[in-house]
Amino acid sequence: MAYAFTRVNASTGYVIGWNSARRDQAGPRKKVDNSSPETVTPGRALTAPLRPVMLAVMDVSSDPTPDPRLRVNLGGLDLRNPVLTASGTCGYGPELADLLDYRRLGGFTTKSVTLEERPGNDPQRVVEVRAGLLNAIGLANVGLQRFLVEKLPFIRTMPTVVLVNVAGQRVEDYVAVAAALDEHACIAGIELNVSCPNVADGLSFGTNPVRLRQVVAAVRKELRRAKLVVKLSPNVTDIAELARAAVDGGAQILSLVNTYVGLSIDPDTWRPRLANVTGGLSGPAIKPLALYNVHRVYREVARPAGIPIIGMGGIQNAADAVEFLLAGAAAVAVGTTLFVDPTAPLKIAAGLAEYLTARGLPHVAALTGQLQLGAAENCTPTAHVPS
Amino acid sequence: MRTMIAERKREKRCVVDALVVACTRVCREHVALELSIREFPASEPGQFLELLCRATNAAEPALRAWTDDGFPSLVNSELSTQQPFLRRPFSIADRWSAADDTVRLGVISRTVGAGTRWLEGLKSGDTLSLTGPLGRGFRIPSRETPVVLIGGGVGLPPLLYLTRRLAELGHRDVTAIFGATTRDLLPLRFTGDVSCDGAPAACIEWPGTASFPTIITTDDGTLGLRGRVTDGLSAWHARRSAATRNAVVMACGPDAMLRAVARVTRERGLDCQLCIERNMGCGLGTCLSCVVRVRDAAQPAGWRWALACSEGPVFARDELLDYSA
Repeated sequence: MAYAFTRVNASTGYVIGWNSARRDQAGPRKKVDNSSPETVTPGRALTAPLRPVMLAVMDVSSDPTPDPRLRVNLGGLDLRNPVLTASGTCGYGPELADLLDYRRLGGFTTKSVTLEERPGNDPQRVVEVRAGLLNAIGLANVGLQRFLVEKLPFIRTMPTVVLVNVAGQRVEDYVAVAAALDEHACIAGIELNVSCPNVADGLSFGTNPVRLRQVVAAVRKELRRAKLVVKLSPNVTDIAELARAAVDGGAQILSLVNTYVGLSIDPDTWRPRLANVTGGLSGPAIKPLALYNVHRVYREVARPAGIPIIGMGGIQNAADAVEFLLAGAAAVAVGTTLFVDPTAPLKIAAGLAEYLTARGLPHVAALTGQLQLGAAENCTPTAHVPS
Repeated sequence: MRTMIAERKREKRCVVDALVVACTRVCREHVALELSIREFPASEPGQFLELLCRATNAAEPALRAWTDDGFPSLVNSELSTQQPFLRRPFSIADRWSAADDTVRLGVISRTVGAGTRWLEGLKSGDTLSLTGPLGRGFRIPSRETPVVLIGGGVGLPPLLYLTRRLAELGHRDVTAIFGATTRDLLPLRFTGDVSCDGAPAACIEWPGTASFPTIITTDDGTLGLRGRVTDGLSAWHARRSAATRNAVVMACGPDAMLRAVARVTRERGLDCQLCIERNMGCGLGTCLSCVVRVRDAAQPAGWRWALACSEGPVFARDELLDYSA
């Protein structure tokens, strides 16, 4: 029998593990001042509003050490911990199977699948930049039919929640791929890639609220079972406007951010370093930018609408993950860092557990959206963040 | 029988912290690293490692020494501009078992940027994070087959590992042709016996495993035969032409050199395997950046992109579209 510390939404009765506790009862570590009768024990106050709720027996036989404090219900997806892989950095599963123990992974997001096979861009496809990576792969993938034949059998065996990232150029493409994937129970969710900067027309859905709402609604209508995640582009003036369009269209989960359009030039040849000229910037370089967008979307759209966020952008360690959770994410995804350390998601999950212990927090959901914007004089930062 | 590379299965890989036993300068821009690991999966010459060219824990939140009124010290990796974020690929230059039962790996690094500069500063006792073994190595022919190893500059290391393997397997007819633009860009140490007329001689003192007859070439003639490795190959072929029908050439080096080797071996009817170099984001088969065109009759265009990190880095010459034309 497994327990999870979650809360029940009073209006729907759904267990919503990502929902934040009341602002006045959450909090960062306060300065201990023995002279004040109002001294707050750091984090401990959270124990009260969060009640343990017994969920259905979950199959934990495949997970060596499930930690109930990390288990989150992400818009209906039951994740053993809130750390996923990000699309395009982990293939379709077999590529990292010998290095990354999927039994301990919160969730896995595949490389994009398009209706037709795509060979991808000419090289040079990636260039390392300071604290990050600029890539222009061009959505290279085997296409829907070969995905179903060649990739799905392995996905069926993966002991983690699998999201399949779907890209396209027309609404009909997205609908066709999503509907075909919805047939397969091993695919827990569809992540709509409306924000690839490296293909012609790739950003148009992600930057136009009307088109975004249209494609999200069209796909949502086709889905009987799989949850719908919409991945937002940061290459817009106001990301909240796009987030709102996605939610209005029927998005059940938002993931953000995709890469930032960037350019790298060789000063010797005066030519772009990438064959595609521009590429998408990822890695630690974008973390503050991504955090800002997560927080903005959380405040403006996700929290009011009750939609959870998968936050991503340069996450390397548990401290980075905590930042995203505090900004408003209910779960996080690790992308470019997988290229450096494929085991990073497991280390981050372990680090989150240590962090909860160190701070006396009952559940990781207690961090979501708890960024403190009030007067700072009573707050001092934590002494040590476990990695 | 022409070499076919693609059919082989991938061995298990691992991410481990290795202990640096020694970091030794071998020539002007190259250092040789000797690494010690308790266990390491089976590897083959031509396979490579991805080295993290910064402190192993740099991606972790370093100790944040907060005080009530102080700022944390700025030691996070993201605040350190000279630390490369991605790992760097290096061929395995040697592998043996030490007396203490640990696995020893040799890596030869040419200092060309921030990552390799960090590597050359490693000291005995330091820790280095590595991922490996990655990719697919050389396909070694039967013992009776004459083998020619051709290495240019930074392409030498996998061939040095290959000399050890070929010697272990009992190969007798092996000739090495090692070249560079100039003498002090050859990561080797020599005895006094380097021939300048293209006659193979056992002239290498270090590494000791490279004991087969060797032709040294330098573009500027500062050591051995003046010219390119392909001139060394022609010299070898002139001496041996009657007995070379089934010889296999295994080459690693810059692209221009590999193209030249591909052309010469094709002209002379020699089988050839090429170990190619590509910019890699991960080395694990996920970033899809190290693509190379391979022939594929099933494709409408007659070719497809292959990943050098997983299907390669060693390919049969005739698989590669851009090296065999």
